[in-house]
Amino acid sequence: MATVNIDFSQRRFLVIDDQPMAREALRTIAQTVGAFAVEFAANYQDAIYRIRNNTPDIILCDYILGDGRSGQQLLEELRRFNLLKDEAIFMMVTGEQSYEQVVSAVELVPDDYIIKPFSPDKLLLRLARIMAKKDFFADYYREKRQQEYARALALLAAKRDSEAGRPYRFEILRQQAETLLASGDAVGAEDAYRDILNNYEFPWARAGVARSLHQQSRHGEAREEIDRVVASTPHYFDAVDLKANICIAQGETEEAQRVLDEAAKKTPRNYLRKRLLAEAATLNGDTETARIAMGDVIANDSMPGAVSAADKLSHARTHVASNDKISAEKVLVGMRESEVQNLTLDEQASFAALLAIASPEKGKSKFAGLRPALISAALETTARLDILRAAMVLNDRELADQQAAQTMAGPDAKKSFNSVRTLYALHGREMDFREIQKQVALRRIHHDEPNGA
Amino acid sequence: MEKLLDILASGIHETKNQLFYAETAIAAAEATHRIDLGEARYAIERGAHRLNRTLAAYRLLRHERQLALIPTVVSDLCAEMALEARLHLQHHGLTLRLDCTLEDAWPMDRELVEDMLSNALQNASRFARAQILLQARLIEGGLQLCVADDGPGFAHLPPASGTGLRIARRLAELHTRGPEHGTLMLSNGGPLNGACFTLWLP
Repeated sequence: MATVNIDFSQRRFLVIDDQPMAREALRTIAQTVGAFAVEFAANYQDAIYRIRNNTPDIILCDYILGDGRSGQQLLEELRRFNLLKDEAIFMMVTGEQSYEQVVSAVELVPDDYIIKPFSPDKLLLRLARIMAKKDFFADYYREKRQQEYARALALLAAKRDSEAGRPYRFEILRQQAETLLASGDAVGAEDAYRDILNNYEFPWARAGVARSLHQQSRHGEAREEIDRVVASTPHYFDAVDLKANICIAQGETEEAQRVLDEAAKKTPRNYLRKRLLAEAATLNGDTETARIAMGDVIANDSMPGAVSAADKLSHARTHVASNDKISAEKVLVGMRESEVQNLTLDEQASFAALLAIASPEKGKSKFAGLRPALISAALETTARLDILRAAMVLNDRELADQQAAQTMAGPDAKKSFNSVRTLYALHGREMDFREIQKQVALRRIHHDEPNGA
Repeated sequence: MEKLLDILASGIHETKNQLFYAETAIAAAEATHRIDLGEARYAIERGAHRLNRTLAAYRLLRHERQLALIPTVVSDLCAEMALEARLHLQHHGLTLRLDCTLEDAWPMDRELVEDMLSNALQNASRFARAQILLQARLIEGGLQLCVADDGPGFAHLPPASGTGLRIARRLAELHTRGPEHGTLMLSNGGPLNGACFTLWLP
């Protein structure tokens, strides 16, 4: 057989495939290369359960998992929920040639992919190669996991210049850019991605440029870059999510909702995307779409611990926006005591505001008690919009105007503009809205003058 | 048209799954009975990959898909080509020599390049006397992959251009880097003084 000599008998394999015959075939192959312990997972849930409980060393996962989900979605979810260590091997197995298109484009990639049919020898060669790569990056993985970004970057810089790093040149460049972005150095990350693009047009690198620009609040430029990616690689759904986030920041909530809607239809069981769709639809004033999307998330996202307090608040928010106070109250009152106690300041504000609207007798006094804190605290836009809505309903004009002014003077002004205007219009206060808008603009000009001239 | 292509694609997908079961069964039988059925496995793999890549090429040329650019370690690529072809060549009394020590990662559409090399090796095996060479070098800022044999060489140069060759040329050209694009050249002479297939990627 092959010249590769690795002892696989101590390594734990997990084969993920919804087709029994394919599972058997993969097991046979794993055993042929010397595997002893081969576990099976027949579906998405089962796979997550097994990986969470006891991460295997080597995962062979079919791209098509049935039930509207793919191996790529599994991989993305595992990485995002930190269920898959960098040291574990994830190999995508595919009979679909379209997977090459996906893997060459996306940011979250498996260690490798292999196209069916393949011989045990070929798998062995590929696994040996991945193991060598894991060894090469081992110290970097450790620093990255500890979020020691400076040290991680220093290691990558040394690897980049080393002879042993030649096979991993692009992987190193990619990790450098990602680490810079994770460490908050969006300018450095942008440069790193542009360096890569100077030579080759990789969709993931262009999306990286867009992500870096977005983090620098250069939304117009970010939009141009991400539009290119989405147009050229329509199956790259993460790029769609990024585009939607950029559109939201630009205040183009309609376009955000449109692209998310389209992508969500093709990935019906991606609940992170559904959450984003709900957010875009809420900002866009499409309360019905938001309600359906959040309802789907709450009912069907079976990723353990995936449905958070923030999701329940989002769900309640969609009910409030649809004027369905009973459903909103049910969601809020149904939250567990411990959950409510552990809310962040922003979430507490949202909780109090939404409950005050849904059920004044239950929520009004708590909301009133929080009022001084709400005025003085630095809050996120979502919480401010909830407070604004509650203040409008409770006829607390001072609080409403103060929150509106804060929102419109903040970095999310474009994102929230439509929502704020709609709320004022709903209460027949368009003129007041214009006045606040004017005041905010005047203050900005005033503020800018000393530096601007 | 798109519908027809989807039907074909789904049929090919199913076929490949079946071929995968067949190859796995053969591999298991080889292990159990300690026999060599390499030729059968080679035929199955090549057949399945031809189906796969034919569809990929068709989509590319109709602009329904883009090149899947993946950094590929050159020595690994050559090792895999050798793994696929070596037993088959041995069977025909030919030896395959590898001259690919390049450890660098080079961006390419891995499956398409493998397909081109696999076809070149197959062609060479029909005309070689004793030896075939697979060589990888960095030349003029690009990666040059060369399949050479010690046969009589092409009777006509340039050879009468068949469909396969025309497609391969266009697929090579789709590999770009700035203003440069890939090329494919057939010549006589070469390192083994026979026919020579040369793919250059920027």
